[in-house]
Amino acid sequence: MNIDQLKKISRQSFDINLQKANALKKAESDQILVYENHIFRADPETICFVRTASEGKDSFFMLDSNSNPVEITDPTEFLELLLQRNQSALNTYHQLYQNTKNRKV
Amino acid sequence: MTKGVLLYCFDTPQVSYSKITDRCISLIERNLDLPVTVITDADTEGRIKSNCDTRVVDVDKGNTKLSKPWYNLERHLAFDHSPYDRTVVMDVDYFCYSDKILRLLRSENDFLVHKSAHDVLHREQMRYDREAMLDLVWATVLIFDKTPRTRAIFDTVKLVKQNYVHYCNLYRITYKNFRNDYAFAIALNQINGHREYDVIPDSIATVPADAEILELNDNGAVIRYKDKTISLQDQDLHFLNKEVANV
Repeated sequence: MNIDQLKKISRQSFDINLQKANALKKAESDQILVYENHIFRADPETICFVRTASEGKDSFFMLDSNSNPVEITDPTEFLELLLQRNQSALNTYHQLYQNTKNRKV
Repeated sequence: MTKGVLLYCFDTPQVSYSKITDRCISLIERNLDLPVTVITDADTEGRIKSNCDTRVVDVDKGNTKLSKPWYNLERHLAFDHSPYDRTVVMDVDYFCYSDKILRLLRSENDFLVHKSAHDVLHREQMRYDREAMLDLVWATVLIFDKTPRTRAIFDTVKLVKQNYVHYCNLYRITYKNFRNDYAFAIALNQINGHREYDVIPDSIATVPADAEILELNDNGAVIRYKDKTISLQDQDLHFLNKEVANV
């Protein structure tokens, strides 16, 4: 390949990574969930913690995104909402990612 | 409890903020469905075409940005200006293409602000940690209840504004023109006993001033920078390029 082709590939890769970075930032915003008046991120860490802490329990305590404590009294409902928001955000991210990937050389 | 959005809109000789406000309000109606109150001046009021509540004030026109008029000196009065129990104050060039603000309004936090913003071109230039001795907050969007604590925050912002040179020296702020971001950062720092405070956990997607805005639609924007064209859809965007008024 000549230098112009290499530069073209480099530029396209930069553009794809830029679109990916923006899509990821959007996914982070989309994952914000307010439950019981507290702000949470519907991210894997929160989902894993809620699933683990709720095993065999009717309620448990955890921290919101600002490290304020909150009692979760309906773990099943909370987990369901977290998963819904997480999957909705990642579904959008997936679509944007696929669109970007399809534009690759 | 009443909830609504408070906007500040003052046209300058260079920028038609009233046009930007109309677009901002149409997106608030579409994605947030909240009542809007606009604080404006007598000259600008007639140019705002949206269906909203307007209140005319005598604007303090003392500030500049890049040698152009910058009427940003009223934000500290938002507590008094707001007719709502829970208020979202936002820059008119912050466009709500999502329901994020609506979600945040359901929280119990009596004062919320972003501590992070990013350039959608990802040039890593929006860090100000070496420009002052305290973390910057982005006063682009403020969410607050009317409580004694939030009254104290706004009163402290007034104090900071009156003695801005002193506070710039105290916190070694390099940017000497009055900037709401620093004024609120100082007030939050002081009222919270120089400790951490609650923030909005994501980052403001910011379209930089040197990006050309090619298209604005109901769901987002298409921008261009040099040879790159970027589509940004279904996410809130803060436009630093005031040409947004003319797109």
